[in-house]
Amino acid sequence: MSEQHTPPGTELDPKLLEILVCPVTKGPLNYDRERGELISEKAGLAYPVRDGIPIMLVDEARKIDD
Amino acid sequence: MVPGMSQHTPNDPIRKPDAEPPDELSFGFRRVAAGQKAELVKQVFDRVAGRYDLMNDLMSAGIHRLWKRALIDRLDPRPGEALIDVAGGTGDIAFKALARARTRTDAGCHVTVCDINESMLQVGRNRAVDRTLVTGLDWVCGNAEALPFDNARFDAYTIAFGIRNVTHLDRALCEAYRVLKPGGRFLCLEFSSVVLPGLDRLYDLYSFNVIPRLGQWVTGDADSYQYLVESIRRFPGQRRFATMMEQAGFRQVSFRNMTGGVVALHCGWRI
Repeated sequence: MSEQHTPPGTELDPKLLEILVCPVTKGPLNYDRERGELISEKAGLAYPVRDGIPIMLVDEARKIDD
Repeated sequence: MVPGMSQHTPNDPIRKPDAEPPDELSFGFRRVAAGQKAELVKQVFDRVAGRYDLMNDLMSAGIHRLWKRALIDRLDPRPGEALIDVAGGTGDIAFKALARARTRTDAGCHVTVCDINESMLQVGRNRAVDRTLVTGLDWVCGNAEALPFDNARFDAYTIAFGIRNVTHLDRALCEAYRVLKPGGRFLCLEFSSVVLPGLDRLYDLYSFNVIPRLGQWVTGDADSYQYLVESIRRFPGQRRFATMMEQAGFRQVSFRNMTGGVVALHCGWRI
């Protein structure tokens, strides 16, 4: 699988962002445009957006170190 | 009954078991650890993604198009509705739903395609670009058992030939219920148990002898198609699946057999 992330600053459809939640906590996500990641603070996970597709799988998420 | 044909007995290896130990699940006829199934299924679809829809045409002699049309007829997508199609990575159902809604008005509906497999989603997304379908579609990689969507967001949930591949059916059904709005509908198209006497034996012969060879020939991968035919036999029959839907909370649960029960269309409502 390619590790190519969505180019920084790429917009995700705001309507999609409105309905997306963290699959683990079902809590809100913050979109980090610079890194192309969707952040679930509660779960401490960053879900990658690859090629414009949010990858909402725990196995693919980056653990966020505090 | 056709002479020489008999119904499968409970000991027939082609029949599915009633219960599985919680830590072990079926991957086709193999027994695998619960945590392993998702990865094995992923490998299957990674291998066949590019030729998935072609194989469907060849294996079913195009009949899968009729099954899917019956799903779209029943779905009857309305302009402005929010639909979610799960395990529909290559976009087959999503494109048909969009086209159907647009026969009513230009506004169309909105389809969110959610698939656990990134390779399948890439095939679908590229196909959407080829068809210049840019509005009304979202592509999300997610697990049917842990959907990354807020509660009560969708008017309809569809899953066509996908629910068989999830690790825990009950969890996937509960998630479907959760993301549907009250009044939302659940539609599932899946291979089921053949109910026509005689057809069952013919279907077995075809499934176990022809399909893996066809898979080898078209995708260079017989194993994935061996898994396909085995997983079909493992999937609960029509009535048992209907009961599982009710247990997840769905009401007015019904099913309709097609092609003698080779496939069943299951429907239910979140009240």
